[in-house]
Amino acid sequence: MSKRQKQAIGGVARGLVFTVVCLFFIAPYLWMVLISLKPRVDIFEPGKWIFVPTLQNYSNIIKNAHILDYFVNSMAVSVVSTAVSLAIGSLAAYGFARYRWKRREDMAFMVLSQRMLPAMAVVIPYFLMAMAAGLLDTRVILIICYLLFNIPFTILMMRGFFEDIPMEIEDAGKIDGCSGFQVFKELILPLSLPGLTATAIFCLINSWNEFVFANFLTSIRAKTVPTSVMLFLSVSGTKWGEMAATGVLSSLPAIVFGIAVQKYMIRGLTFGAVKG
Amino acid sequence: MLKRYWKKKPYLPYIAPAMTIMTVLTIFPTVFLYLISVTNYQLGWDLSRVRFVGLENYIRLFSGNDPDFWNAVYISLFFMVVTTAIEMVFGFMIGKLLCDSEFKLKPLVFAILIIPIVMTPSIAGNIWKLMLNSEYGIINHFLGLAGLGKVAWLDADMAFTSVVLADVWQWTPFVALISYAGLCSLPTDQYEAARIDGGNAFQLFRYITLPSLRPLIFLTVIFRTMDSLKIYDMPFVLTQGGPGNSTEFLSLHIYRLANAQNGLIGRAAANAIILMVISTLISKTLIHYQRRENT
Repeated sequence: MSKRQKQAIGGVARGLVFTVVCLFFIAPYLWMVLISLKPRVDIFEPGKWIFVPTLQNYSNIIKNAHILDYFVNSMAVSVVSTAVSLAIGSLAAYGFARYRWKRREDMAFMVLSQRMLPAMAVVIPYFLMAMAAGLLDTRVILIICYLLFNIPFTILMMRGFFEDIPMEIEDAGKIDGCSGFQVFKELILPLSLPGLTATAIFCLINSWNEFVFANFLTSIRAKTVPTSVMLFLSVSGTKWGEMAATGVLSSLPAIVFGIAVQKYMIRGLTFGAVKG
Repeated sequence: MLKRYWKKKPYLPYIAPAMTIMTVLTIFPTVFLYLISVTNYQLGWDLSRVRFVGLENYIRLFSGNDPDFWNAVYISLFFMVVTTAIEMVFGFMIGKLLCDSEFKLKPLVFAILIIPIVMTPSIAGNIWKLMLNSEYGIINHFLGLAGLGKVAWLDADMAFTSVVLADVWQWTPFVALISYAGLCSLPTDQYEAARIDGGNAFQLFRYITLPSLRPLIFLTVIFRTMDSLKIYDMPFVLTQGGPGNSTEFLSLHIYRLANAQNGLIGRAAANAIILMVISTLISKTLIHYQRRENT
């Protein structure tokens, strides 16, 4: 066998492996889209590939106003929590990136260790405190809880982005007579806009998908989309079609955003620890 | 006066708001959690009924009177080891393969790898539940076409495996993306030198790739162990901890004790403390090793 033939066979083998891998990872998503378009009766016949697609499931969940309420809740909670985290977190990130002090790395490690804290361990005190304060089943309590992971994430992510900006730019700003905070506001923030956008998107996705706090602390009024899918499991059997339609609508923004920040995906997944 | 203090510690005004909020949000609830764990508080009780019970909740856990707890600890740890191992191996292999090949559709592969990571776990869990359904699930349909028998995926003896499968589906891409970035950033000159010296592929991998990627591999293992130890949404949707308690992970066990039906808040708090201690111990150990590797 010539070298060329060997290469060709290797290429085909690789192509096959990639096809299998991709199919495995995308199959549940494709299946969800397919189910969301299937008429109710056909859902119970998995082998039926040819069917008349219908938007019945989508119109059902939209007419059923509650689902839209859950989307509004999810959106409100994610956006507010992200905005607060960005404001407070990027300020702290700048402190970490530009100043040196004795226990800086210990403090940064403390920030990272928040990532390791199991939500289920802290949710009980939150539940009791929220109950005492009358905040159970409100958006406010969820926003507060989501700060728990969004602020540390913002600090660690933005620290990396700020450190990438050369010091000279800041020195130039200082010579022009800007105070420290002005430099941050007028020079650094606009320069790190891509980083801010990426960080915001990760915060949005993480808050959008959050389940433990949402499941424990909300029941009706402040219910978010991830916990609302449990509603489709009724006594009369699961409404798979409507569940899938909700899934498609809910995962679409996450996926579009996720692919948009692909470049920063590794940074985001490792809390800024790896600058991929 | 404040201004002078700021001059000495110029970083303070920047980090103070975030640090204050984070301390309030974590230290306060943690202390509160410890306090609850030594009481007999149950949901719906008057505060007058609450008594201090000392270490009773903990003694119950460790004296063996609570087999459910030990089952939860055992399957949580087992799940952590199994999923992390599978995801590391497959993820690394995919990352390596991606780094070694150049083709036009590569961006598509990346886009596909991102989908499981960003998809809402509870929704993904529901889809898996549908696909794994023994009567009308697509997986059993294909097994049937292939002439293999139907598998009762969500029955007691298979439920754990099914959760592992779903977790591997969701998080292998995470490992793949990170190892891809790590592998592709390795300098090539070392490899060429070693190849000239007659090193084979395995030796190259063992003596060059692994040592240079060790910190990154450690970091990935830390993230994966921590996340799979506290897994909640996927099994909650897929199996609700059942059948029996075959998939009742620690988080689910805590939820079952604390939720509105049982309301055993005091006991649940003791369980939560144990979960916190286990995850802190494991992460501290791993991070300790990672830091040692780095220096």
